[in-house]
Amino acid sequence: MIEFTLNGQPVVFHDDPNIPLLWAVRDDFKLKGSKFGCGAGLCGACTMHVDGKAVRTCVLPVANVAGKSVTTIEGLGNPSDMHPLQQAWVDHNVPQCGYCQSGQIMSAAALLAQNPAATADDVDNAMSGNLCRCGCYPRIKAAVLSVAEESA
Amino acid sequence: MTTQPLSRRQLLKRGALLSGGLVVGVQLPGCSFSGPLPIEAADEGFVPHAFLQISPNNEIVFYCPSDEMGQGVRTGLATLIGEELDLHPTEMVVRSAGSHEAYANPEFGIQLTGGSNAVRAFYTPLRQTGADTRALLLNAAAIDLGIPAQQLSTDNGHIVAGDQRYPYGEFIATAATLELPEETPLKPANQFKYIGTEFTRVDALEKSTGTAQFGIDADISGMVYAVVVRPPVAGAKPLKVEREPVLAMAGIIAITDISSGIAVVAERYWYAQQGAKALQVEWEQIPLGNIDSATVKADLAAALEGDDIIEATSEGDIDAGLQAATHQHSSDYYAPFLAHAPLEPVNATLRIEGERAELWTGVQSIQAAQGLVERVTGLARGNITVHNLYLGGGFGRRGTLTHIVEVAEIAMAVQKPVQLLWSREHDIQNGLYRPASYMRISAGIDDTGRITAWHASRAGANITGETMTNMLPAMFPRMPKSMLTGLAGSLDYVFSNWAVDPSSVEGLHETYDLPNALVTHATVDHGLPTTFWRSVGHSYTAFAVESMIDELAEQAGMDPIAFRLKNTDGKPRMHRVLQRTEELMADYPLPEGHYLGVACHSSFFTDVAQVAEVSVSDSGDIRVHRVTCVADVGTAVNPDIVKAQLEGAVMFALTATLYGRIDLEQGAVVQSNFHDYPLLRMNEAPQVDVHLVDSGTEPTGIGEPGVPPLAPAVANGVYRALGKRLRTLPLRVTANV
Repeated sequence: MIEFTLNGQPVVFHDDPNIPLLWAVRDDFKLKGSKFGCGAGLCGACTMHVDGKAVRTCVLPVANVAGKSVTTIEGLGNPSDMHPLQQAWVDHNVPQCGYCQSGQIMSAAALLAQNPAATADDVDNAMSGNLCRCGCYPRIKAAVLSVAEESA
Repeated sequence: MTTQPLSRRQLLKRGALLSGGLVVGVQLPGCSFSGPLPIEAADEGFVPHAFLQISPNNEIVFYCPSDEMGQGVRTGLATLIGEELDLHPTEMVVRSAGSHEAYANPEFGIQLTGGSNAVRAFYTPLRQTGADTRALLLNAAAIDLGIPAQQLSTDNGHIVAGDQRYPYGEFIATAATLELPEETPLKPANQFKYIGTEFTRVDALEKSTGTAQFGIDADISGMVYAVVVRPPVAGAKPLKVEREPVLAMAGIIAITDISSGIAVVAERYWYAQQGAKALQVEWEQIPLGNIDSATVKADLAAALEGDDIIEATSEGDIDAGLQAATHQHSSDYYAPFLAHAPLEPVNATLRIEGERAELWTGVQSIQAAQGLVERVTGLARGNITVHNLYLGGGFGRRGTLTHIVEVAEIAMAVQKPVQLLWSREHDIQNGLYRPASYMRISAGIDDTGRITAWHASRAGANITGETMTNMLPAMFPRMPKSMLTGLAGSLDYVFSNWAVDPSSVEGLHETYDLPNALVTHATVDHGLPTTFWRSVGHSYTAFAVESMIDELAEQAGMDPIAFRLKNTDGKPRMHRVLQRTEELMADYPLPEGHYLGVACHSSFFTDVAQVAEVSVSDSGDIRVHRVTCVADVGTAVNPDIVKAQLEGAVMFALTATLYGRIDLEQGAVVQSNFHDYPLLRMNEAPQVDVHLVDSGTEPTGIGEPGVPPLAPAVANGVYRALGKRLRTLPLRVTANV
């Protein structure tokens, strides 16, 4: 039994503690916004925040988040109350297929929480582990920088 | 969705006004299929035809007939119908249409999304549907308001009478009693309100908040999870399977043989994955098991020297053209197998209950998915509902639906709702590939720089026959297997021995004025499954053609753009694109140590030129800093989405240019995940400047045409940097020096 906080709510996971957090969140807690892309921590589609840090959850056993605070894309904002990054994503027409975008936004949000005035190089460094097959990179970068500049 | 068909009076050329929860039973004009439309009716919703539902509260739903895989088709098609309906596309609720022949792509005759044709093929039909619906609503409003229709106008979902505005939804009760007008005149382009303007994609909000539903997100009560163990060498059958140890593992429910391998079914995906990893299987030996990448390349090269070469195109007199040449030149080019690697691995969720089945997935042909479920389950087509959710990338991969066959076979075996998910390793190692291609171009030019002779030849596997082998069972679910095998076999035979598969050689000669041109082909198929890959044949032919054009320009002593201009007099659209490129390059700020490479290519009726700004490090790493992309896509329905597609195409193509290769060792794919099949990363992404040249034609292809010119543009830039021609993809400086 693993207890942790998910988007501000206490939750309990009862299955095998080796199961990756991604599948616990998707299949047990029914939050489907975080995606499976590679199963090896190589693409970033599964990115969530664990105690504020961007983490690849497809390779993170649930056991590792016991007592910790997990935030998913659903906890970051929602369609009627968007995080500034989500609004920037809409304004810049960022998504194409959209599959990687939850992970992209979670990585960007972790970056800006640490470094609100991130530069283009900071964005490259923080975001180059998030793959986008559609090639939305220029727009992702512009969207992140637009939020960074607002706080700069 | 409610799946009980409704027995209602048949309404010819009339819509239906409905009570909530009913499936619409409308006889569509000009449509022989009288089955119910796969539309879930809103309470008192009005369905004038297959594409719209209007509710009394003025909620207007557009049923999008093409599959959204990122290309922006929901926004594009909503814009077409919205333009004439007079309703802003972002104010519609856009849903994926179900399977019904009313939604067939006008060019393909079936529901299929590919070939960069959706906006082009639906350009007139959807505007006409919008215009006819608007006319119907005006007629209904004229009756209800007692004002002649000529004195009424419309504005963004409202009927306007003087200074009064009435939502369309107020007139649907009367509209349901009227005939849908036909051939209502369409707006001239200079009156467009939405076409040609930029606004937010209709799916941007869902996709920025994690609320967009992809196939993988289907979650059905009581479902079990399946992982399939497939042969490392495609097509091999299992000889021996050690089931017992895996059946004893936690969470495992069943192990079942299916046509493509062995399915491990478990209570969770995680357990199924653990079981699949532990399953010991001995596979049969098949001829593909003797093939390595080097064998493929050698066999393809040898085929161009052999006797089994057939002619695809012949124009003019190639010998006379060679005699007229002052310079002759010949080079060979090679492009490897490639995987699509959409970020969402293919998946499907199927529930079979009694005589009915329900499928949740994301595919490029909902109709094919339905047909495959029909074939495997034997259920009546009308009893199979398919929910086509967002596709987490397509690129051609989701047009061949072996995973739908798999999920249907598994669901039949275990008699439970099943979710099948491919791992990334399955996606890279057990999929379908862009075929490897060996190409040779021999050409002559005269002393004015005109191409006098052009012989382009390609060796490799074909795509169309194999794709048809996969599509035929879907299209003809009741055709006996023996007949299907015969049909598919004869297609393969035709394309190997008699006529060239157009997809294999497309792009080898079309872009330039070539008075004396010969295109030839040799089929060499080692048995690795192939399918369409974004831009299909153009993805490799453009590399050969545009590299050769650059080599010829050098022989002619001409600037690469000037040489291309010289040889496109008869191709006015491309000529104009090149002129614009030349203008843009006139004052291009080129940093020290950076070099420009040019390429252009016509595909899917669209003309694209790209200039890549390239540098090469001392250690041989190629870096692309900036790409200038000039394109004529005709009318750009949403210019910002067109730009996004061209930006994305550059990134997609740059992955293939710098990294993309699927290698075989003893017939098995070597690469397995993103560590050895890398995708371009943000820190490697070039700036992309898109310039649209509008020839004023109707829209032409958008999703694919940005891909082909990129690899040769980069290769030509590397040549400027190093003086070395790289004629093998992916580009490797050291390997080619």
